[in-house]
Amino acid sequence: MKELQSAIRAALASSRADYTEIRLEREWRTQVFFQRENLENIESSTEVGGIIRALVDGGWGIVVFNSLDELEKKIEEAYRTAKAVSAKVGEKSVLAPTEPVEDEVRVQLKKDFRQVSLAKKKELIERYNRLMLSVPKVVATATRYTDSFKEWLFANSEGTFIFEERPDITLFLMATAREDGNIQQAFESFGEAQGFELVEGLEQKAEETAKRAVALLSAKPVKGGQYTVILDQELAGVFIHEAFGHLCEADFTYKNERMRELLQPGREFGVKELNVIEDGYLPGRRGNYRYDDEGVPRRRIYLIKSGVLQGLMHSRETAAKLGALPTGNARAISYRFEPIVRMRNTYIDKGSHTFAEMIRGIDHGIYAKSAFGGQTELEQFTFSAAYAYEIEHGEVGEMLRDVVLTGNVFATLKNIDMIGDDLKINGSSGGCGKGGQAPLGVTDGAPHVRIQNVIIGGRA
Amino acid sequence: MLEKLKRKVEGAEVYEIRSRETPVRFRAGELESAKSVERAGRALRIIKNGRLGYSTTTDLEDPQSLIENALASAEFGDPAPFRFATKAKPPEVRCFDPAVERLELERMIRMGEEVVDKIRAYNPELHIEVGLSRAVEELSLVTTEGQELRERGTFFALSVEAQRTEEGDILIVYDEAASRSLKEVDHDQVADSLITTLRWCERLARPPTKEMPVLFTPRGAIVLLLPLMVGLSGKSVFLGTSPLKGKLGERAFARDFTLVDDGTVPFAPRSSRFDDEGVPTSKRALIDRGEVRQFLYDLKTAGVAKAESTGNGFKSGLLSGRDFKNPPGIVPTTWTVSPGGESFEQLLSGLKEGLIVDQVLGLGQGNITSGEFSNNVAVGFYVRDGEIFGRVKNTMIAGNSYELLRERLIGLGSEVKWAYGFFRAPPILIDGVGVVSR
Repeated sequence: MKELQSAIRAALASSRADYTEIRLEREWRTQVFFQRENLENIESSTEVGGIIRALVDGGWGIVVFNSLDELEKKIEEAYRTAKAVSAKVGEKSVLAPTEPVEDEVRVQLKKDFRQVSLAKKKELIERYNRLMLSVPKVVATATRYTDSFKEWLFANSEGTFIFEERPDITLFLMATAREDGNIQQAFESFGEAQGFELVEGLEQKAEETAKRAVALLSAKPVKGGQYTVILDQELAGVFIHEAFGHLCEADFTYKNERMRELLQPGREFGVKELNVIEDGYLPGRRGNYRYDDEGVPRRRIYLIKSGVLQGLMHSRETAAKLGALPTGNARAISYRFEPIVRMRNTYIDKGSHTFAEMIRGIDHGIYAKSAFGGQTELEQFTFSAAYAYEIEHGEVGEMLRDVVLTGNVFATLKNIDMIGDDLKINGSSGGCGKGGQAPLGVTDGAPHVRIQNVIIGGRA
Repeated sequence: MLEKLKRKVEGAEVYEIRSRETPVRFRAGELESAKSVERAGRALRIIKNGRLGYSTTTDLEDPQSLIENALASAEFGDPAPFRFATKAKPPEVRCFDPAVERLELERMIRMGEEVVDKIRAYNPELHIEVGLSRAVEELSLVTTEGQELRERGTFFALSVEAQRTEEGDILIVYDEAASRSLKEVDHDQVADSLITTLRWCERLARPPTKEMPVLFTPRGAIVLLLPLMVGLSGKSVFLGTSPLKGKLGERAFARDFTLVDDGTVPFAPRSSRFDDEGVPTSKRALIDRGEVRQFLYDLKTAGVAKAESTGNGFKSGLLSGRDFKNPPGIVPTTWTVSPGGESFEQLLSGLKEGLIVDQVLGLGQGNITSGEFSNNVAVGFYVRDGEIFGRVKNTMIAGNSYELLRERLIGLGSEVKWAYGFFRAPPILIDGVGVVSR
C-alpha cells in the first residue's frame, strides 16, 4: 500500500478543503469455526478500502470506498459534501493542533499466523473443540478462531503520513451443557495483537470451560436483591470499561453542557485508593497500536487519581472544543467508519487489599466472576457475570448462575470500599460497541474489587 | 467466473453486492456531517470433492485470488450436506422505492431539522441526536445449479435520541423507523412518539421489589422475542441447545400466542424475493395458537437436519444488518406477533400494580439459549391502579421467556406496531416477572 504514497500526497495537495485526511486499509484474515462436531466455516479472505474526511467551514464530508483508484475525485466529492453541510452547520467543527508525524511501524510476531497453514489452524481448533465435546453432558460447542493482519495507512493535509502494521488474533471457546430443560453455557475468550503462540497450549482451558458449563447445571439461580459483591479481575475490568470508561469519552460531553457539569475535573468519584488509568500503548495487547485513527500518538492518562476525576479521553475535535490535549483516543473499527472517541486499555490500578481481607466480614454476599457482557447508557450500566459464588460468613460457598448487576455509576463507584493488590489486564475475543461500530478490540483490567449495595436482577 | 470454476468444482455460488449509502448525522440538535459510502464485495462458496470452501473479497477485478482462497479452504472443509440453490419461481416482494433512490441530501437534512424543531418545541433543554440514512443496493447471485438472480433494493432509516441531564438523573429516550419505502417512515410521527415517551418520563417513581405483571410495549417485546429468535432456529434445534427441540407439533406457549415469520412483507427492511443463498423467501407460522409449527432453516442446516430451507439463509446477524463477508446463517425475517382484543389503554387500566417496559439495557447478555433474561429497565414506568405513576430507575426485570409466554401471558393488545425495523408486535402483558429496584 505504501506504493500509493505519491498518489496520496498528490491527491491531498489537490484538496480545496480546510483539512483533508485519507485512511486506507488492506486486510488478510482467516477464520476457523466449529459448532459441535461440524466445521461451520473455514475461510481465508481479503479486504481493501479507504475513507476520506474533509472539513470545510466547520462541516464534515465523508467518502468511503473499496476501490483505491481516483483518489483526487473522491477528495473532491468529500469536499462538495462538506461544503453542502457547512451551509447548514450550527457550531463549526474545529481540530486541536497536533504535530505532523511521519512514521512507519512494522511488527515482529513471535509466530506469524500468516505463515501457519489453514490445515494447522484447523487441527488445533478441532482439538480444543473435541476436548470440550468429550465431557459428559456437553451437548454443543462453539470454537472460533480468527486472525487478521492489516496494513494501515494514514495521511492528512497537515503533513502526517503513517504506515502501520496491525495484527489481531482471537480464540473463543464455548461449551453448552444440558440436562432436560436446563441449558447452561460457559466460555473462555482470548484476544491480542500477537502471533499464533497466543492460541497454542490451551487444552486445559478448553477442559475447564466444558466442566464449568456442566457445573452450572447444578448452580442455583441467583435471588434478586442488593448485595455486597466482590468482582474478579475480569468482571471488574468490564465494569470500569462499561460503567465509567464510556462516560469519560468526551464526545458524549463536548457539545452537552449539562454532561460537562457532571464531569468536571476535580469532582470526587470514589475512595482515595481508586485510580483509573487509560494507558497509552501496551504493545502486543489487543487494539493497541501506536497511533489512533487521526494519526495522533497515544498518551497515558489518569481518568481518576486518588478518587478524583482528572480528565477525559479525546479526539482532536473534542479536545479543541474543551481546550484539552488530544489523547489519541479517536478510533474506528475499519475504513468504513470515521473515528470516534473510544477506549483502548482502561483499568483500575492496583490497591492494597488481599482477597482474604475483602471477603472477611461479608456475611451474605456474592463473588461474581468473568464477564458475559455489559452495556451502558451514561450513568446507568448493566453487566453480567459468566458465573458466581455465594459468600456466606466470610467464605466462598455454592455456585450461582444468572447473575446480572446493575446500577448508577456515580453511586456505584462511591460504593467501592476495597481494591485488591492483584491487577490483571485482559484481552478478549469480543470487543466494544459504540455508535454502530462493533466490535472494536480493547483491553481492560482491574484487581479484585469490593462494592457495597449492588443491585442484582433475579426472581424476587 | 462460474464458467472457470465449473471445470474445477462440483458446485459454486457467487454472491455480489454493490451499495451506495448516504448517512447524515445531527449532534446536539445541529447538522454535523454527511457521508457517502460506496461498497462492493463478492463472496464465493464452492463444493470440491464434497467439501465446502468459502472466501470473500472487495477486489472485484481479481477473481483469481478469490478462487484460490476458496479452493484452499475447501481442502479442509466439512462435507457439504447440500447443493446450492436451483432455479425457482420467486414470490413478488416489493423492495425498491424510486423515491428513496431520488431522495436528495438537502431533503434529508430538512427532515432532520424538522424532527429537532418539533422536539425542541416540547423541551428546548434536551440534547438531541438524529441519524438519517438512505441506501440503494444491487445484489446478484449465481449458482452452478442454475439459479441466477438480480435484485435492487432501497432502504431508508431514521433514528432519534433525546437526552435529559440533571444532577443525579440522566434520561435517554430513543425512537426509530426503518423501511424500504420512503412513505412508510413518517418523521413527524417518530418525533411525536418520542415526545409522548418523554412526557411519561416527567415524574420518577420507585417500584417495590417483588414479582409483578409487566406490560411490554411493542418495542419492549424484544426482551421476550430475542430468546425465541435463537430457540426457533433450526440450528439450535439440530445442535440440541434449543428448549423447543422435540416440541414440534406440541403446545409450548399460551393459546393466544401466534408468531409468524414473513420474508415477503412489502417494503419491510428484512424482505426480499430470495434469501442470500438464492432460496425464495416465504411466510410461515412458527407458533400457531401456542403450538410449535416450524423452525427456520438455511440450506446447510436443512441438509444436516433433513429439513427444507425456509428461505432464511442470510448474511446478517440476529440484530445487525447484512454484510457480504459473513457466510449465510439462519436469521429470522419480519416477525409478527398476532394481536389480541384489548387496547393499550384497556390493558393499562386493568393493571392494579405493575411495570410498563419500553427499552432495556443488556439485551442478550444473559443465558438467552435457555430463555433467561435479566435487564436494566432503561425506559419503563411504574403503574398503580391503572395509571402511570412515573418513570423507574435502578430497576431490573428478570424471568424466563419460554416459561412466561407459556404460563403467564395474560393479555395482548389489539394494535400491532413496528419495532427496530424487523418485528411487529402488540403490547404484551405478562404476569410474574421478577422486579428488583432500589
